[in-house]
Amino acid sequence: MSGYANLARLDLAYREDRRIRVRDGVELYYETRGEGTPITLLNAFFLPSPSWRVFTEELAGSYRVVGYDLCNHGKSSHVGPEPTWEEHAADLIALLDGLEIESTHLIAASTSTILARDVALRHPDRVRGVVLAGPVFGPRGMRRQRQVQRAWLRTLESHGIAGLYEHMYPEVFSAEMNEAIGTPGFLGFREAFSALSTVDDLVNGLNRAMEDVGDPAVLAGVERPALVVVGDDDFLMGPTAARELAALFPHGRAEIMPKAGHVPFVDDAEGFQAIVRKFFEEVDARA
Amino acid sequence: MPDSEAAVRKRIRGLLAQLYGGDSFVETVSDGISLRQAGVSSHALVALLVAMEDEFGFEWDDDVRPEALRSIESLAGHVLSLQE
Repeated sequence: MSGYANLARLDLAYREDRRIRVRDGVELYYETRGEGTPITLLNAFFLPSPSWRVFTEELAGSYRVVGYDLCNHGKSSHVGPEPTWEEHAADLIALLDGLEIESTHLIAASTSTILARDVALRHPDRVRGVVLAGPVFGPRGMRRQRQVQRAWLRTLESHGIAGLYEHMYPEVFSAEMNEAIGTPGFLGFREAFSALSTVDDLVNGLNRAMEDVGDPAVLAGVERPALVVVGDDDFLMGPTAARELAALFPHGRAEIMPKAGHVPFVDDAEGFQAIVRKFFEEVDARA
Repeated sequence: MPDSEAAVRKRIRGLLAQLYGGDSFVETVSDGISLRQAGVSSHALVALLVAMEDEFGFEWDDDVRPEALRSIESLAGHVLSLQE
């Protein structure tokens, strides 16, 4: 089944109401599927936990897949100022503690690749392998990403969520997907996107994402194996930069997905999961 | 002669009934209620938009405002505006 067929089955409903208290006044919404070695999904600010389901179904057949909403996003507690990346990382560790998960693979996409990188740096004992899909930090920094997010923020403030969607859509999603699902897809998913988040959540998230400096030097400190997955139609990072980025990790490599965009599993969920499974199997075999 | 608004709404209801395999769900959706709040998934909405192109003989434009997609009533209003 193509990624676009998966997209057509996208179900953004919250089916469960499971929460774990991770610090004073903060409960995180989470959902788990499957049994086995844990995989934890880290949300980009635009994609709350339900949006991962149709893109991780095969993995849930043989892994314990955990999704959750970051503090101040989705169904998790909203507590005023956007948490720092350090707080988001501490929240994740507390969530793992609450779920009695000793160590987990991480899959991150777009802005959440910052969080995955930081958790792998600060808590290597809790991390097995790290998948960075569409990283927002490049081999020379992340000035381009900050410029993009500043432009998105301006659009959000002046034209609301629908305007932001129209700004982001041709950048984030591949030309292949744009042609495949056409205008009905563009309009229909605008409705879904508009229901996912509030303006405040997105403003806070974009501002937080822009605060990371994306220093490439820190990647040398990531001890855990890292896989950079980039679509060759990713507007932020091309295949050459992806390979250069992967080479900065002590145990990093890159996989390039043909015709995929910034969120490559949207274009080819089965292909993405096959790449991820192979990587995780290699990591677990070496452990 | 342009369709009446009631007729267009009825035809949109018919398309929704086809998508949901019967009238039971559609009967719970009033003309003015938000389709999203009524429980119409993003997949179903995309399918409805595609079906409307065939049913009414037009193609959606990317610049259609979100308000036009909110309900059976607003969808019918969009169809009628194209027929004027």
